[in-house]
Amino acid sequence: MLVMDTCIGCGLCVPYCPMNAIEVKDRKAVIDLDECVECGVCLKAKVCPKDALKNDETYTEARLLRKTFSDPWVTHKSTNVLGRGTEEMKTNDVTNRFGKGVCGIAVELGRPGTGTRFYDVEKVAKACAASNVEFEPYNPVTSLMTNVKTGEMNKEFINEKALSAIVEFICPNDKVVQVLKDIKKVSAELDTVFSLDICCMAEDDGSFPMYAMIKEAGFTSSLNGKTNIGMGRMQLKF
Amino acid sequence: MTHTLHRRGTKESLRTDYIVFGITAQQFNGKDSAQVLKKFFDIVSPLHPTNMGDMRQGGMLTVADLPAGVQDNSIVHAVFNDLETLEEAVRRLKTADLGISIVVSSLCDDVAELAKRNNVKLHTQEVSLGIHGNLKKLPAEEFLHVTTQCGHGLIAANLVKSMVEKVKNGKITPRKASEEICKQCSCGVGNINRTEALLKDMAGIA
Repeated sequence: MLVMDTCIGCGLCVPYCPMNAIEVKDRKAVIDLDECVECGVCLKAKVCPKDALKNDETYTEARLLRKTFSDPWVTHKSTNVLGRGTEEMKTNDVTNRFGKGVCGIAVELGRPGTGTRFYDVEKVAKACAASNVEFEPYNPVTSLMTNVKTGEMNKEFINEKALSAIVEFICPNDKVVQVLKDIKKVSAELDTVFSLDICCMAEDDGSFPMYAMIKEAGFTSSLNGKTNIGMGRMQLKF
Repeated sequence: MTHTLHRRGTKESLRTDYIVFGITAQQFNGKDSAQVLKKFFDIVSPLHPTNMGDMRQGGMLTVADLPAGVQDNSIVHAVFNDLETLEEAVRRLKTADLGISIVVSSLCDDVAELAKRNNVKLHTQEVSLGIHGNLKKLPAEEFLHVTTQCGHGLIAANLVKSMVEKVKNGKITPRKASEEICKQCSCGVGNINRTEALLKDMAGIA
């Protein structure tokens, strides 16, 4: 993100930045580019009276990586999904991605509102990889791994920052408790925060086996959640 | 696997926050899905959601005609403030039987009861296990009740703080402040009515 010379330093853009990376100095808005994640919120808010904020059209690969993970209007080449997420459990009634006997787990680093460096993403990925989990192939974080068995990530981008990045994987039920405990352990080593979630398919009796595992691992689940109510099928009704 | 399940708030406040999503699986049934996703909007619009949107276009605060612009493989949604209206939306979607996946974001107890009443079988459930790590970096919890409404993290805590001050000083109405905040959420999944109520609480307005 660039600030053009037309900036009058009014500061209207300052509170819009989710990373608190803009300040006014000497009557000009100044963006701390090490903290800026290229989410584009300041520009899209359309509050600048002088149209002084511009996307940098000469993005380096590293800046483009930040944008891919931070601006939901950008489609990542590894997922063909806008933003940093995947279809995950939302289409599980069609894809059967998370079948019986496994849980899906996602660790979204940098959420809510702090952002994350990829060295923290790697710490979590490595902690989870120790249990031989299967990282989601259609997730941009997985595409940055140089070794999906160890969770090691491309060192070229390890210090880059993103609004958030999701370590997402499938885990057999018999490993879920250990993985959750490992995630709790590694959380003490992080500079940032993460939001953690888990999903599973209903058993034939309608129960969800993940709740016993959550309790055993020492976590408390939220009162609210997302539920796929099973109306999807292979053939749409046109 | 993220998004609306990480919304934070009191149980009372979350009881004003119900979302229904429609989505196709791009490798399975996404081809030519735009016309079916459009039908989703046709079904939920008459129920007057507080917000409605499409991840490829935006929300109803920024897009005039959402059904006209819907594309294949998008994710469409509507946000409601009470369980009864959400339930009516689910009933109508069940009757329409579009074949797209339908996902409800709500209190888990509520969706379980809704399923029983409407003979719907819950397929997959996802819950949040909270926020962990360096918690000193987080803004105050009351701001998180607003910022976590945007799953992509585009609502800045400083913007909420700024709007609360403006509401307190009479420079903007709570409604306008809520709309300005919810406009930052690029999918249009922010709950405009709930955010307005939260802003009033924070500003000390009855």
